[in-house]
Amino acid sequence: MRRVDFFQTSFIAITLFITILLIMAIASLFVVPSWDDVRHNIWSEEMRFSLKLSLITGITSTILVMLFALPIGYALSRFRFWGKGLVKTVIDMPIAFPELVLGLCLLLLFGSTILRDILASAGINFVFTKKGIVAAQFFTALPYAIRIMKSTFDYINPRLEFVSRSLGYSMFETFKNISLPLAKNGIVASMVISFARCIGTFGTVLILAGGSYMKTEILPITLYLNISYGNMGMALTSGIVLMIVSFLAIFVFEKAEVSL
Amino acid sequence: MSFLRIDNLHISLGDFYLKDVSFTLEKRDYLIIIGPTGAGKTILLESIVGFWKPQKGSIYLEKVDITNELPEKRNIGIVYQDYVLLPHFTVFDNIAYGLKKKKCCQKESKIREMACMLNIDHLLHRRPDTLSGGEQQRVALARALVVDPKLLLMDEPFSALDPQTGRETRQLLKRVISKSDITVIHISHDLNDAWALANKTAVLREGALLQFGKVDEIFNRPRSAFIANFVGATILHGTAEKNGNGLTSVNIDGVKLASIDSAINGSDVTVAIRPENIIVLKK
Repeated sequence: MRRVDFFQTSFIAITLFITILLIMAIASLFVVPSWDDVRHNIWSEEMRFSLKLSLITGITSTILVMLFALPIGYALSRFRFWGKGLVKTVIDMPIAFPELVLGLCLLLLFGSTILRDILASAGINFVFTKKGIVAAQFFTALPYAIRIMKSTFDYINPRLEFVSRSLGYSMFETFKNISLPLAKNGIVASMVISFARCIGTFGTVLILAGGSYMKTEILPITLYLNISYGNMGMALTSGIVLMIVSFLAIFVFEKAEVSL
Repeated sequence: MSFLRIDNLHISLGDFYLKDVSFTLEKRDYLIIIGPTGAGKTILLESIVGFWKPQKGSIYLEKVDITNELPEKRNIGIVYQDYVLLPHFTVFDNIAYGLKKKKCCQKESKIREMACMLNIDHLLHRRPDTLSGGEQQRVALARALVVDPKLLLMDEPFSALDPQTGRETRQLLKRVISKSDITVIHISHDLNDAWALANKTAVLREGALLQFGKVDEIFNRPRSAFIANFVGATILHGTAEKNGNGLTSVNIDGVKLASIDSAINGSDVTVAIRPENIIVLKK
């Protein structure tokens, strides 16, 4: 008779317990609400506004995050420069921050420093505006994207780039021809994580852009506002929509990764 | 003036460093660099190709100071032990990669000619990950040679290959190099490479160049016990004795060996003897 390994069995049991708990938590979102309510709420003006704003800001923020994460991740992976250790720590800090604190920092930066005046002279205002949603999502998702991009470039043998340079290609051409194509899986993973973080960001958005009904109302804000009013049907619907959007995003990105 | 001149090259990269390395090479020289792991051999190659900027010293190639020149402007090829083929390109595209930057005609015929010379013409459509180690190394060689570099640098090109494939690739390399007028610097742990390919040898240890010279000079007249030991000589310790005719002999546990080098009478000396130079005769 086969002996049961206590160590292996207990670890698998813990894994299964948490998995079942998560499945129950996700399933409860689909079991609890009345489906007539969901159907009604999903076509409401508030939900359509919230979904549209979430998608626009989420996609914009993800694009901006990637535009910054690529060069920063590459620089941290490849270049030696003064203060690199400090830069890495500072860039990682927002991961450890509660979202509310990050939002407060951004509110003070964009709302009461010289930067506010500089941006205002260029006609940009991040405080309690839709642009603030993008800024909040950007700063929340950026550290995650940078981490993934740095690990991706760390994993690519730098000698591939050395050989390319020795064959006559500049640093930029080498980045374009060698590093970027080889980093495609990391780029896709970074986009998935960034989009998921952007679309789900709540605390930072609430503090910087505000939670104004039909103004800066993205899906997490809809959920929060409706829970506050006691409108559980609408809150649950926004939760379901948020989950479906995140799931579809991951699905689409992974499809894109396969075809790349 | 020499083809390549390295003057007091000094580089520090964390645990790896070079200390005032100087040597010169003439055109068509084939230099083998030997030395223990961590001696700074790879840094030396990567500094010559331009990946690391020296803190001190200079590099001259064809009388031009290239110390601060970008790697892409130097026209120096490099081949690594782990081949470093571009995994997202076919063999053909790997070989063609450097040629795309060159303004030359008949690129395709040049690629096919080089592939033929290195016996990889049947692999041109394949991806690098479907090739054996020996095939990958030949592709890496073709990619480096097809652009006609002024100088070819190789970092242990045969060390990842099995002995048989290593020997075959070495023969192939010898044939290809003999047909060109390229100058080569080759890092190796295999002393056979020095005898088979090189006309010059350098020994590097802890970032310093211990000895540089013709191959037989390093093997037969090593400058230190470390070099002698490294190139496979047997080390013996004895006492120097002056003969009546003024020549020195070394007394090793009662056995006397005549020496062409002189030493102070009665001093302790170290003798390096290559095993192939010992002949045992029946009395």
